[in-house]
Amino acid sequence: MPRIIGDGGEGPLLFSERPDWADVTPIPQHEGYNPIAPIFYAPEYKDATDYFRGIVKTNEKSQRVLELTETVIRMNPAHYSAWQYRYHTLLAINASLDTELKLMDILAIQFLKTYQVWHHRRLILTALHSSSPPLSDPSASPSEPPPLDTTPKDFKAAQIELAFISRVLMTDAKNYHTWSYRQWLLAFFDDARLWEGEMSFVERLLEEDVRNNSAWHHRFFVVFGREQLPGDESRESVLKRELAYTKDQIALAPNNPSAWNYLRGILERTKTPFSNLRTFVEPYTKTRSSEEPKEDVLDLENPAPSSTAELPCVAALEFLADIYEDESENKENAIEIWKTLANERDTMRKKYWEYRIKELLENA
Amino acid sequence: MSSLPPLPKLARVAHAGHCNRCLSALPSSHAHIDASRLAIGFYCLGTLDLLGLIDEKTKEEERQSWREWLWQQQTRGVYGTGFKPSSYMTAESPNDTMQDEYSKFDTPHLIMTYTAILTLAILRDDFTQLDRKGIIRFLGSCQREDGSFTSFPEGGEADLRQVYCAFAISSMLGDWSGIKVDRAVAYIQRCFSHEGGYGQQPTGEALGGTTYCALASLYLAPSATVTENANSYITSSERHRLIRWLVQNQAPAGGFSGRTNKLADACYCFWCGASLQILGVGDTVDKASLASFLARCQFKFGGISKDPDDRPDPYHTYLSLAALCLFPLEDADVSWRLPRLDPLWNASEPTANWIREHVSVSPCD
Ligand SMILES: [Zn+2]
Repeated sequence: MPRIIGDGGEGPLLFSERPDWADVTPIPQHEGYNPIAPIFYAPEYKDATDYFRGIVKTNEKSQRVLELTETVIRMNPAHYSAWQYRYHTLLAINASLDTELKLMDILAIQFLKTYQVWHHRRLILTALHSSSPPLSDPSASPSEPPPLDTTPKDFKAAQIELAFISRVLMTDAKNYHTWSYRQWLLAFFDDARLWEGEMSFVERLLEEDVRNNSAWHHRFFVVFGREQLPGDESRESVLKRELAYTKDQIALAPNNPSAWNYLRGILERTKTPFSNLRTFVEPYTKTRSSEEPKEDVLDLENPAPSSTAELPCVAALEFLADIYEDESENKENAIEIWKTLANERDTMRKKYWEYRIKELLENA
Repeated sequence: MSSLPPLPKLARVAHAGHCNRCLSALPSSHAHIDASRLAIGFYCLGTLDLLGLIDEKTKEEERQSWREWLWQQQTRGVYGTGFKPSSYMTAESPNDTMQDEYSKFDTPHLIMTYTAILTLAILRDDFTQLDRKGIIRFLGSCQREDGSFTSFPEGGEADLRQVYCAFAISSMLGDWSGIKVDRAVAYIQRCFSHEGGYGQQPTGEALGGTTYCALASLYLAPSATVTENANSYITSSERHRLIRWLVQNQAPAGGFSGRTNKLADACYCFWCGASLQILGVGDTVDKASLASFLARCQFKFGGISKDPDDRPDPYHTYLSLAALCLFPLEDADVSWRLPRLDPLWNASEPTANWIREHVSVSPCD
């Protein structure tokens, strides 16, 4: 850890100043003549990496190597060699992996955007919960999942991990590594009880921010990512539930591409024709008129846009045009919509909408 | 978008200056670059290449010493040959011979091997020192059962970025014998997400950068029938959804975002823009809005940043210029004139030609 100048020399000593490291020969880095983009290393970084190269050379695996690699990692969390060596050392000296995981709780939040933090965590979890910890080549083979019936110990550990990830997502709700790790964890333990809890988790996040695309993506993963569906759920009931949920979210915030992409995704996945959604979509394609009578009949299956929604909604127009495109009597209507999008409603994508028109005419 | 402000000049010399400064030295706060320094070198020299300023802004003796340093990063061992990210794990040895075989913790790196070849081509190296057979073997050492590749043989990241590098290297060398293409293609296809883009790995959220990696790989793959409208590895439904998702990412600010509902970021102008070019529908991009966004990302003291409020770096500088190469504006000021770019290798056409002439295995090899 870098010493703070002016703190009266209270900071940690350099490894080169420490008697307990006197037996290690530090190895300076070879830079060569005129290297590309050389870094002016801080003395603390140079010191620690000199000793790191030293212990790698002698192949030392010991408790103090854990301290050394932690020091290097805290100054450069992307130092993958230090991570790699640390992992091998942990296994070699039979160190407590639970202790390691606690340290990782801190480092994960501090270095949220660094891939290595999450990769290391994956290795530790795998080592803790597989019948045999991955040894020489931990990630080069598909991780071996724990035994089919999750033991109470594994189940508890997985729950703790999920709670930890939820906390991390509170600081950054769209962090790609964090989400990937959560998806890996669910697949790794593959316990129906863990998957079930994910729906309410996603819904909580979407209540906070309905535009959180990572949460929408996770929902898709949870609904369709698992090989077997829970026994009492048929494909139809899943589709029905997902359609109802998505329509409600669109009604709340119609101009939300994440929700529309999700809607399209579930239709494509279940091979459901877009035209089934015509009744729902149409009200979103209309311009709001001020003297519109208040809707008396409440259609629960097809929630209407909220009174403050900006209409017409581009995504709804696009959706309706996609329905029309597949109907021989409505192709002209599709072209009309695309023209409106190109010239008025979505001019950024003018060329795209014109491309759609051209494509339709060519395939006609 | 008819109300775009007039386009300022592209500050070519200032951008070159930004990259030249990074080439000569980085402050201690950049220690995290240690494990990817070759990539920074590529973005800096690539910027000079796109600006046509290599000869003007660097001296031949500098280029010679950089080439030598790059070759020092080529390392051999049990897994084959490749390039290390930098000398950060290389011991100072008294006799200064770099012949030692790498250790388990100092292996070559797949992504760095791709950037090293590109950078050496930018520096117009003759590639007589390239260990082609060793590199082909190294690619195979990085491939996993599921078709994906790890960054180095002992592990590390495994996602679409490594697949792309393995494909790019195989195509540059003109030798696909090191990898199992079918498995890798199957892995790529598994990354296709419900939104219409490719995630970083099979369960991942659709992302601009990895969508580029997937598409470029599929179009580089040897048996792909590449025509303007068809690629045998992509179904017509997938193609349809890809184009839709990609154009949807052109954000109101004019630049592209990397994921749905995120803000525009200069680098995604390349990743998404190049993806559309690869699919043969680059015309669907609003070029004027794109250029206007990138013009606003120019930092006043040189370099281009991810958005108008951020600080520049070589990565965003290079990728912004690469995007502008793909989407030239006919009526823009002469400062915006840039070379054509090979969208699959991410190299200027002259550099891509150099690779074809000097890197590809010649029949008599
Ligand atoms: Zn970026």
